[in-house]
Amino acid sequence: MTDPSPLDSSDISLSSEASAVPGVRLQTAVGAGVLLVAAGLAFGALSIPGDAGYGGVGPNFLPWVCALVLALCGGLLVWEARSGGYRAMAEPSGGVQADWSAAVWVSAGLLLNAALITTLGFILSCTLCYVLAVQGLRRAAGQAQARAPRTWAVDLFTGLCISAPVFWIFTQFLAINLPGLTGTGWL
Amino acid sequence: MEILDALMAGFATAITPGNLLWALVGCALGTAVGVLPGIGPAVAVAMLLPITAKVEVTASMIFFAGIYYGAMYGGSTTSILLNTPGETASMVTAMEGNKMAKSGRAGAALATAAIGSFIAGTIATVVVTLFAPTVAEFAVKLGPPEYFMLMVLAFTTVSAVLGQSRVRGMTALFIGLAAGCIGMDQISGAARYTGGKMELLDGIDIVLVAVGLFAVAEVLYAALYEGRTKDTQNHMGRVHMTRLDWKRSIPAWLRGTAIGTPFGCIPAGGTEIPTFLSYAAEKKLAKGSNKDEFGRQGAIEGVAGPEAANNATVTAALIPLLTLGIPTSNTTAVLLGAFQNYGINPGPQLFTTSATLVWALIASLYIGNLMLLVLNLPMVGLWVKLLKIPKPQLYAGILIFATVGAYGMRQSAFDLFLLYGIGLLGVLMRRFDFPTAPVVVGMILGPLAEAQMRNAVSIGEGSWLIFLQRPMSLTLIIIVLAVLIVPRLLQRRART
Repeated sequence: MTDPSPLDSSDISLSSEASAVPGVRLQTAVGAGVLLVAAGLAFGALSIPGDAGYGGVGPNFLPWVCALVLALCGGLLVWEARSGGYRAMAEPSGGVQADWSAAVWVSAGLLLNAALITTLGFILSCTLCYVLAVQGLRRAAGQAQARAPRTWAVDLFTGLCISAPVFWIFTQFLAINLPGLTGTGWL
Repeated sequence: MEILDALMAGFATAITPGNLLWALVGCALGTAVGVLPGIGPAVAVAMLLPITAKVEVTASMIFFAGIYYGAMYGGSTTSILLNTPGETASMVTAMEGNKMAKSGRAGAALATAAIGSFIAGTIATVVVTLFAPTVAEFAVKLGPPEYFMLMVLAFTTVSAVLGQSRVRGMTALFIGLAAGCIGMDQISGAARYTGGKMELLDGIDIVLVAVGLFAVAEVLYAALYEGRTKDTQNHMGRVHMTRLDWKRSIPAWLRGTAIGTPFGCIPAGGTEIPTFLSYAAEKKLAKGSNKDEFGRQGAIEGVAGPEAANNATVTAALIPLLTLGIPTSNTTAVLLGAFQNYGINPGPQLFTTSATLVWALIASLYIGNLMLLVLNLPMVGLWVKLLKIPKPQLYAGILIFATVGAYGMRQSAFDLFLLYGIGLLGVLMRRFDFPTAPVVVGMILGPLAEAQMRNAVSIGEGSWLIFLQRPMSLTLIIIVLAVLIVPRLLQRRART
């Protein structure tokens, strides 16, 4: 999914070079995705009871409406994509090529945080998330020093300096339950 | 007189040291959030929603209102100084503001934006004060069919008018509505789309969706696509307006306010149309050398008008939120979520059942506006320093706060995985130019609209004709149809 797929020769509206607008194939895929969501909603709606009581409108009514409208929208999106691309499309900001390695770093940070927060506690888990995410963003920005041990150390320290006070403010002053490594409420 | 008494009582509540402090912290935080790229007021409020568990309702609503307001002031600073257009609300400001900044008049642009915001915000607050109780009195008479049509109106405006494409707007809206279906049906108690997962029985929390769609998606998007984007910043200079600047700004502020306020009052969201209309009006009314400045050196009217229109709209949008319980933007949708956390459903009864809260909130708007003027005129240099925070550290830091918001709400690690998934959806939506506001508004308003619709059809004894038989509801149907057609014509006219 890195670069816009090659365009049909008949396609005029999207033929400008190095445009960040996703290609026809990706647009079709998104439209198909919407159709898939609609199908999923319809499938789920089958198991919702339709007992309407007095009103004639039961709990399965809105799910069916959503499924039908999304099916229509998905169909229209596919049609738009196949006939010259989505209409009135604004050029998305940023580069044409996606930097997947940077996204992997950020994703790793987020997912590890989700997996480890109850075991490591908020402060350490969030620091880990910060360190990994900042590493990815530094690499995305092409910072040469991103890999240096000193940068890692600085990021580790910064991460602790953000997450520890956040943890204390929220748990001590605002009495919000956040998981700790110990039961002291400070770590 | 009754209103004045109520307002005075509101001031008495709002002016206690504790509440003043909440207002100040809210305004400061809001300005910071507005200045910083990557987080907007909706995310900021969403991330802080867990505090509703502990902080008393009046204090937290004053705090959230401060953030809501402050972000508008902060946003204009960034759009004038940075050469990248930020949120849609300040895009029009950026057009002329940026040109002014490039020709060395950033100080005047910042000043006219801040003072204009103050004037428009204050006038619109007066309008809220005077008209909200009247609207509430009127709204008591509305039944489920009218409510449902009002919500349809809100859906239509949010999804069809905002953004460029109706198909993509509708897709976003119905994804939001479908997400709102997840969980236990509030009327019959039937489980919908839970897949047997206990975590989903309560539905998906709005915090999760707002934080995922805006904050997490923003960070992921920045990593994927914006690593190499370089922001260039204009030189600031002294924040000062000459006598001529004042002479040109004052009428523009007033015109902007007059255009923005009515747009905020009706449940038809978005600041795009009023700001754009104000810009078009200023351009048309300018004469001689002033007219030549538009699009070249930057005309001060082109900043003053739209900025005032923006703030007037945003402030007046509190009327539909407080009196009808209908949010018309991301932030007001999240604010509605905050009310719901306290078990309060904004609507016509709010003015009688929670009079203290409402009037303290309105009083705090006056106070907040004044605070923001002070925070933004003499201290603007301080806020601009925030733009020096390097992006990698800023975005990674946002993730820590996102975790607090998402985890603090329900203490469930499952939510953090869900947050990531919603973040991915947000990246996709941004890349393919789907508007995100309809998702949030649809999700919050969907269950309410569904309940009204089912009640309405019950009243009609199973007949859908009930929506056509009641004059008010029929009028609303006609308005919905007009909303779908008229703005397109207006926009087309404004462009020429």
